[in-house]
Amino acid sequence: MLDFILLSTHLPSSNLPYLFAAFAVSWVVLFGYLFYVNRRQHEMKKEITRLQKVLDQTPEEE
Amino acid sequence: MSGLFGPMMVIFWKDVLLELRSRDLVVSVVVFGLLVVVVFNFALNNTPGRSEELAPGILWAAFAFAAVLSMNRAFVRDQEQGGLEGLLISPVSRDAIFLGKALTSLIFMLLVEAALLPIYAVMLDFSALSWYLMLTIFLGTLGFAVVGTLFSAMAVQTRSREIMLPVLFFPVLLPVIIAAVEATTRAVGGETFIGLGRWLPLIGVFDALFLVVCPWIFSFVVEE
Amino acid sequence: MANTQSMERSDSLGGFPSIKTILALITGVMMLVDLYFIFMVAPTDSVLGHVQRVFYFHVPIAIVSFLAFFVVFIASLGYLMKRTSKWDAIAHASAEIGVVFVTLALLTGIIWARPVWNTWWTWEPRLTTTMILWLIYVAYLMVRSYAPTRSKGAIYAAVVGIIGFIDVPIVYYSVVWWRSIHPSPVVGPFAQADALDGTMALVLLFSLITFLFFFAYMVAERMELRNTEEALGRIRFTLRRRGR
Repeated sequence: MLDFILLSTHLPSSNLPYLFAAFAVSWVVLFGYLFYVNRRQHEMKKEITRLQKVLDQTPEEE
Repeated sequence: MSGLFGPMMVIFWKDVLLELRSRDLVVSVVVFGLLVVVVFNFALNNTPGRSEELAPGILWAAFAFAAVLSMNRAFVRDQEQGGLEGLLISPVSRDAIFLGKALTSLIFMLLVEAALLPIYAVMLDFSALSWYLMLTIFLGTLGFAVVGTLFSAMAVQTRSREIMLPVLFFPVLLPVIIAAVEATTRAVGGETFIGLGRWLPLIGVFDALFLVVCPWIFSFVVEE
Repeated sequence: MANTQSMERSDSLGGFPSIKTILALITGVMMLVDLYFIFMVAPTDSVLGHVQRVFYFHVPIAIVSFLAFFVVFIASLGYLMKRTSKWDAIAHASAEIGVVFVTLALLTGIIWARPVWNTWWTWEPRLTTTMILWLIYVAYLMVRSYAPTRSKGAIYAAVVGIIGFIDVPIVYYSVVWWRSIHPSPVVGPFAQADALDGTMALVLLFSLITFLFFFAYMVAERMELRNTEEALGRIRFTLRRRGR
């Protein structure tokens, strides 16, 4: 028993903006997150290299 | 089980006596419960015709908010006075500590609800004279107490303890709230046990499940 | 010297590409194929038209978001039992990526709901449970970052992961029962759902597998980030000990 309200103002063809929005949002969110992770990774690695240089220059504990 | 019951009751009595001596917590939570009903009454536009429909929801929203408030405050006080640390050093089982604290919260909330119920019955225009309503309130509050005590023990240690408990509490206790409102609607309408449908059993299953899981998990929360 | 060496070790295994890179490649290829299937192979729905294709993203994303929470549950149990950093890392990564997926599931769900059901939101069981899952994920991440110490944060988060997971089915059924008493006035063809044409079902399945690989890849990335984080912590600790 399927009863649904199909409004004539919502013809299938007029829904393409929603289709685009859904896929666009998906890409933005997924790649946005990956980009965020990669950037933090990059920044941390730079920091590690920098600190490693400092470490090499400091003498060992007495 | 006797090893559990004894320590549990000792912890319970200690907390209850502490509370009765000062009484500020009970009074403030009851006042809060009244405020919530007043706010919801206007927020939901509760006209006489709609009261029957809205009353159970307003009641349980008030009880849920009051529960979060009272459990938050109770544990904060406990942490400030170092009560929990003292218990943990002693050889009392973690289960007993948890159940003692949960029982305290339960009795406390039931007292607050008992005070509020007659006032609600008048303000929201419903009949509270139903054993099934009492049972629903008991089972629902039990769910609040069991899960709430576990979450309070964690929340009180965090940076943002006022917001942490509600954030943890409400999503997890949603089924209890849904079921309690449905059962209350029927109980107030004069239904008997069968008429209450699946709702009380749902709360019952929730309570039973978390009465087993929460004490076990509590030991991880308080370990050092 | 020891620190940089251990870092290099975690980046590559001799000449072989890391698991992470393999997953990335598989995911990339599958996604391209998946998009082809979604737009060129799947038939157009007779009632809803092309907008129905959102379905091939929304459903797999939602399924993966629940699966991620299952991973969080298992890893949380593992952490409470074994207390190794590995279990905690898996739980943390899955939770963070899980929240990304649930958010996306909700967003695509809303975008899906508007043309299909003519409303932005409906309190039906699946959407509501997804919303609650989102809230539990958020509570998980919050309790982890607001805890007094890192180790307590890991324990508290594990507690939320376990309690939350047990709770989700109860939430679902309570809303299903509630819904049967308070039915929605607008019920679209896909609310009853799953009256799927054969090709549609296959595309959906392929899309699901694609997103599973995507999830695995993202978890691998996130776990590597955590390794880097820990290496940074170690080097800072060493420096502090030497008075710098």
